[in-house]
Formats: sequence, C-alpha cells, structure tokens
Amino acid sequence: MSPRPRPFLEPEYCKSCLRCIEACPRACITPGTVINPETGLIPVELHLENCNGCGLCMAACPEPFGLRPTTESFASVLDFELEDPAALFGPKIVPNYSEGDEPDETIPLPPCEPLVLKGSYASAIGALLAGCRHVFGYPITPSTEASELMAKILPKIGGHFIQAVSETAAVNMMYGAGGAGVPCITFTSGPGFSLMLEGISYMIGAEVPGVFVNLMRGGPGLGNLGPEQADIKLACRGLGHGNTHALVLAPSTPQEMLELTRQAFELSFLYRNPVVVLGDGYLGQMTGIVKLPAEMKRVGLPAWAVSGDRAHRHNLICSIELSEDDLEAHNRKLNDKYAYISAHEQRADCYRCADARQLVVACNTPARMAKGAIEDARALGYKAGLFRPITLWPFPIAALTTLLPHIDQLIIVEGSPGQLEDELRLALSHAGISPPPITHVRHYGGVLPSQEEILDCIRENTGGPV
Amino acid sequence: MSVFYNNFSRHAHGEGLKGHTTHYCAGCGHGVAHRDLAAVIDELALQDRVILVSPVGCAVFAHYYFNVGNTQAAHGRAPAVALGHKLAHPNAVVICYQGDGDLASIGLAETLSLAQMGLPITVIFINNAIYGMTGGQLAPTTLMGQKTTTSPEGRTLAMGQPLKMAELIATLDGPVYVERVALYDARQRRIARQAIKHALTLQQEGRGYAFIEILSECPTHLKLSPTESEKWVKEKMEPIYPLGVKKNKTGEPWFHPAPPRYIPEEILGLCGAERTRSAPPPCPWPAQLTARDLSFKFAGAGGDGAQTAALLLTRAAIEQGFDATNIPSYGPESRGGTSYADVHLAADEVLNPAAPEPDILIAFNSPSLAKFAPTVVTGGIILYDCTVIPAPRDLPANRRIFAVPFTQLARELGSPLVKNMVALGALQAVTELLPPLAILETMRHLLKDRPTWQPVNAAAFAAGQKAITLIAPDGR
Repeated sequence: MSPRPRPFLEPEYCKSCLRCIEACPRACITPGTVINPETGLIPVELHLENCNGCGLCMAACPEPFGLRPTTESFASVLDFELEDPAALFGPKIVPNYSEGDEPDETIPLPPCEPLVLKGSYASAIGALLAGCRHVFGYPITPSTEASELMAKILPKIGGHFIQAVSETAAVNMMYGAGGAGVPCITFTSGPGFSLMLEGISYMIGAEVPGVFVNLMRGGPGLGNLGPEQADIKLACRGLGHGNTHALVLAPSTPQEMLELTRQAFELSFLYRNPVVVLGDGYLGQMTGIVKLPAEMKRVGLPAWAVSGDRAHRHNLICSIELSEDDLEAHNRKLNDKYAYISAHEQRADCYRCADARQLVVACNTPARMAKGAIEDARALGYKAGLFRPITLWPFPIAALTTLLPHIDQLIIVEGSPGQLEDELRLALSHAGISPPPITHVRHYGGVLPSQEEILDCIRENTGGPV
Repeated sequence: MSVFYNNFSRHAHGEGLKGHTTHYCAGCGHGVAHRDLAAVIDELALQDRVILVSPVGCAVFAHYYFNVGNTQAAHGRAPAVALGHKLAHPNAVVICYQGDGDLASIGLAETLSLAQMGLPITVIFINNAIYGMTGGQLAPTTLMGQKTTTSPEGRTLAMGQPLKMAELIATLDGPVYVERVALYDARQRRIARQAIKHALTLQQEGRGYAFIEILSECPTHLKLSPTESEKWVKEKMEPIYPLGVKKNKTGEPWFHPAPPRYIPEEILGLCGAERTRSAPPPCPWPAQLTARDLSFKFAGAGGDGAQTAALLLTRAAIEQGFDATNIPSYGPESRGGTSYADVHLAADEVLNPAAPEPDILIAFNSPSLAKFAPTVVTGGIILYDCTVIPAPRDLPANRRIFAVPFTQLARELGSPLVKNMVALGALQAVTELLPPLAILETMRHLLKDRPTWQPVNAAAFAAGQKAITLIAPDGR
C-alpha cells in the first residue's frame, strides 16, 4: 500500500484563512510570516516532518487549488513523465464535445378529417405536433383547457405536464427544460403572464427557447375573464427587466392557434429566444374548424443544451455577466439578433388592401370583426381594407409601408387603450414615415369593438363611397 | 480534482490569480462545501451526468469552478429549474445548490413543492445565517438577537424566528433523505461528505429527493475570523440547528419515466383526429337564405345543455362543409349561473364570430329570453322553452317567435337532460338550415362510445321537429 499523499500548497492560491491549521492533528501547519508578493496575503507554511497524509487539512481548505495532495502537483506529474501515463492515470479521457445539433426529424401524418376544436386545444395540439412533450403551467381562465388537455395526453406519450406551484415556478421549469434543450410551452393569461415576466427576462438573457401562450383577459389587476388585448404592451415592450424582446405572434382563428403555436417552436429554437403566442380570451374558448398539418416533429438535441451527458458537459445556461464590457458585448449580440428578427420575421395578412383608401388595422379576434366590417363597407362602396399584423413584435412595417401611398385614413381597432396603435406609431416613427391621419375604435375590460362600430368609423372617416 | 476546471476561464476570463482561485472570501464555507461536492461527484464517477443548478447568492458563480453541466437560476427558482432539467433528461444527476435567502426566503414555495414532489433531485442548502452577496442582511435563518445590517439591534420576535429548514422538509412526505451537517471541524466535514455522497447515490439510483442542509461559515459578515466563525457555528448555530439525520425513508428505485414517443397514429388518436372518410358531397348553402352568414345565441342556465347544443350545431355545420364558430360564455359559477354561446354558420368564412345581435335565439330560461330577445335582429327567430317560460313578457315585435315545450317533451321521453336535443330538432324544423339528418349524425358520432344514449337523443330531436309542425306559422 502506497503512503497517503501529503499536502502541497502553491502559496499564491492560499487566502490565509487558517482553517487548515485547526484541522491538522499534528501541528504541521503554521500561520505564515512572509507576505506573498503576488497576492499581498500571508500564506500558511507547511512543515511536513510529522505529516502522515491524513488529508484533514485538504478537506478543510476552501480553495480548489489550495491545499492539494502531492499527486496533483505539477512536480509530481513531472516525476512520472517518463512512465506510461495510461498505467498511472488510466486511459486518457478525450473530451467528446458535441460538435453540432442532433437534428429534428420530420414525420409525415396521414390525412385526417378536420377537427372542430377550441382555440386553446388547437394550440396544445400544435405544440404536440411540434414535438413538445414538456408542459409547465398553472391554472388560469381562460387558458386552462389547454393545460388540461396536455395533462391528459402527455403521460400517455412519455411526456410531462407539471402543474407548478405558481406561474413563477412554471416559467423557471421552462428555463430548466428549455436550457436542457427540449421544447416546452405554457398556457396562461394576463395575471399569470405578469408573474412569468421575470423568468422570461432570464430566458432571453440566457438564450433559452420556450413558447408562451397568453390568452389575454380583462385587466388591470384581477380584471375579468373577457377578451381584452391589453397585454400587447407587455409582450412587445415589457418582457421583464433589461434589454428584452421576443417574437409575438397574434392568431385570429383556432386554425392559426395551431399553426402559429407550431411555428413558435421553430422560431424559438432558431433564435434561441422565447416566443409569445398572444391571443385573446375568445380565441382560447372559441370553437372552429382546424385542419391538421401534413407532418409532425420528433425533436433532436441542440449542441448548446445542458443535458447531463459528456457531449454537453461544457455548456452553461446563464444570464449573469459580471464585467460591464462582457455584458455590453452580450447585449450587442442580443441587439443583432433582435435586428435580424425585425428584418426577417415580419408577417402580416392583407385583406382587400390592394386598392384600399381606408385601412383598418386589427389583430386577434377584433380582426375578425374588422373583416366583417370591411365586407359591409365594400358592399356600400367604400374602399376599405384590413391590415392584420401576425407578428406584433416585430411590427410588420415593411408590408404596411407599401400600402400607405394610397391610404387616406388608418383606423386602428383594438380591445385595449391603444397598445396596438402604440406599436404601429412606434414602427412608423422608426421608419421615418409620416402616416395618413390615424383614428381608432377601442374598447376595454373585455368588450371588443363591434362590426357596426368599425363600419361606422370607416363611414365617418371618408368623403363617402368612392 | 478533475471535477473542478483546470483553469477558471469563466472567472474574469481566467486571467491571473482568478484562473485558479475562487471569488469566495477567505475561510468561506462555500469553498469547503464545493470541495466536498466535487470530491463526491468524482468518487461516484458522475461528472458527465451532473447538472449543477446554482442560485442567486454567493454561489451564483459555481459554474466558474465545477466542470459539469451548469445552469444558473433566478433568485429562489433553482428547484423549479432543477425540475425542468430532471424531466427533460431523467438520466441527468441534478444538484440544486442554494443559500438561505434563496432557498428559505424568496424560493420557499419552490423549495417545498419540489421536496413534496419527491423526484430524485439533490438539494444542497448552505445555511450561514446571513445574506452574503448583498452584504450581511437578515436571513430567514439568522439567529435570535443576531445583528445584521437589517436587524442592527439584533433579530427580534417580530422579525420571525429562525427557520429550521431540515426539520420542515423532513415533515413532508416527498423526501426520502434529510440531514443537517456542518463544516466546523474535521469530523463534521467527514460526515458532510458522507451525507452528500448518500444523497447523490439516492438520486443516481432513482430512489428520491434528498435534502442536505450544511451549517456554513460566513466570516466576513459575521465579522469574525474563519476560525472564530467555525466556533460560532458550533456554539451558536448548532444548538438552534441540531445536526443529524432528520429523515431516512429510502424505498425502492421508482423514477424511471418512459421516453417521449412520436407515433403519428397514437398522437392523432389522442387528439381525436380521424382518418379522412370518403367526402360527402358538399352541402349547398340553403337556397332560402339571402345572408351568407347566420348568427345564433344559445342561452340558459348552467346545466340546460346550451353549450352542448351550440357545439353540436357547430360541428354538424363544419361536417357539412360550411364554416362555423362557437364562443361559449359562462358566469363565474362552476355549476348553475348563466351559460350562453355565440354560434356562427357561414357559407364561406365566418368573419365576425361574436353574436351581439343574433339572427336566431334559443332561450332555455326566462332571464335569458328577457336579456337576449330584444337583441335579435328584426325578422329574426326566437325559440324558447315554454315549459319553464309559460308567459313571457315584452317579447319584441317583428320576430318569428316559437314557443316549444323543450323540458316537457324531454320529460315525456324520460330524460329531462335531452331538452337541448328537442331545441335542436325545433331549430332544424324552423330553419331547415342543414340536411335533415346532419345534426343526428353528428350526435351519433359524438356518442359512439355511449350507444345507449343515442335513441333518446334521436327521439328528442324528432319531438322537437314535430312540435314545430303542430304550431301555427306565427309561432303562437
């Protein structure tokens, strides 16, 4: 039996806490007397004549490179250099770091009859088809049905639905699972979304993907269960503290609840950033026709994941950067990402816009009321069109800009006190565009603009049928 | 040593002394606990499997040092983050490393819920009775009378008494192993290392959640030397926080979750999708209608079946090739209360799914009729249950009004529940909107697993149809 290794100390790594002195039963260690020029501290001194290699000093030392066994010393490695390293240390461990992503697999789906589904169910099914098997949530009307469906289905297909202790916990479970490289989603509504914002900021900072479906309800505070749109500000401008943005997708039908939820996963992993699917209370509850796509996904594993295996051991999910220069560089990187998304991911739906003079701008369920009003207005001879942003952030300013030359009046229709209009005005301002006159039809507290009100507004803001 | 990085490249880019020294103050218990944890991970050969979730607090930079998979969590949220990791990759060995502010104050809810869930995750709790990183404030574990920057005269009763986390966690059913250890002398350090080893072994074997509370030294904020701090922990802390195993209830390994599956037929079946049937010939939009979009309001009390009727009509219309939408609206009550639904049927596309001024109202009770009858468009249709509304008042003029005894006809069939099918039968007879059998086919399809319910529903539908033929065209 070889003697137990004695300690050695590289003096510059000693912080002179002296915990080792108390630990040593043989008084082999004494407080130092000489200031170390590199650290300005006085390292302990070792007198190992009586040392039996008990190791207690090393177990007391708080520094990883403080007191260590001589087998780890540089000198001891030199001593053994002429021998076979494999005999001394065993086979050499070659880091097998992940070189790239383990790719997703696309699996075709057989043709199916259209489903008749609530929007919240459609969104949940979109997530399943995107390969999502991890759902974390907390019940809140009007989003709860989606969680309930997931709780029913996921355990049968090797997935997990966890009802968290709060939305705060739910978003952090997403931070963990998303950081582990698996797609995950939550379904929530205004008050719950507010609670998740801290976690979303961390996810954006650490570049963790995840999909947030917020079916907006009436606010502020506890508000009510009606369909409002007053979280647009939060989703577009207020995702927690710091420099944050996330793609915000705005469906207007159950079909789009499915499709945009599916796409949200792809975008979330493409950009390593959360994506918000922002619907209103009606969209969660509304039943409509939903056609299934032709394929679904089996997800792979991204190279950056912290997944508890050797290939990914070097990875880190983290949003802390202590040095100001490092954090500025990180923010510049995020800004570049936001700029790229802004340039490449704008989406909008234009309905009867080609010759429109009055352009209604609306999203979510109010866009459907607006669509009805456009038809009514056209029947009366007004040249009205609907511009429906599908991405609220980035606002689809490029598509809008091409329409503006022939627009006499913009009419913003929304169930919020101007949050969509604020996004539009900000986008116009950044683009340096002087818009035509802007007016609006707004409701609050769970009341949505009616088709008749929108039609009236179109009629009031023109010189009459063209 | 291999569990620590050879160079702390994340610590100020690994330059100078910081490449090989920690950010911890001299004599800090975190450093000792780090060495214990690293030694155990090494001994159990878990380095490749470990995911270390670090907290907010002094250990926020654990990823500088541990050469394992690292995730840094928001303040107090490490247990939630750890759960996400464990469910994403059950084979990973997830270690949740937290201080007293993180675990016992801001993250208490996450701490308790993870413990009670009992998944095999290892929590290492560093209790040093004070906030370190923010500079010496009161912790939930601060001792009575202990002076901190936010208890400058010492902790008083009104600030709450020291929170004994190990004992608290041990009362829960979820954990299998709970122990409090210390670092103040060689013996305690040896016990601490064994406790960590036991906890990680339990996780590795899938046996359950373990919680190791480590009484630790914070010389800087205790304003003591490291050696005096060790003494303080032994003499002041330990009497309040007795060391030892608080719970040991190890059972058989149980955590073996099935891997995710991606089988198209299975997913589609669970979503309620059915393979494409031979398409029926598209149903023409009823020639008698000038409108391309019809709106309906189904209204009643909870339990009247208004929602089911609305859903049946919506599904039947979609199966006939029309577009249709249905928006339910409930009162706050889980049962009873108001319950109504807006339905639209459209030849091409439902533009506006709301029905504030419906073309057709189906009212199951008096308040619903009173509320919505005035909103029905001029020339629209009102169907109501004259069993429960025998003498309606103030019905609007210029509407086609049909009084049908939904409830009585259903009762005659022995099942009051089917009054909504009576209503749909009446609706069908009045409007002839869908082919005569469309709603019945949809009903049979939805009840295919409950075939005994089909006949009474079909009879109710027929009774509703027949009732319309018996009343005068003006509906009276």
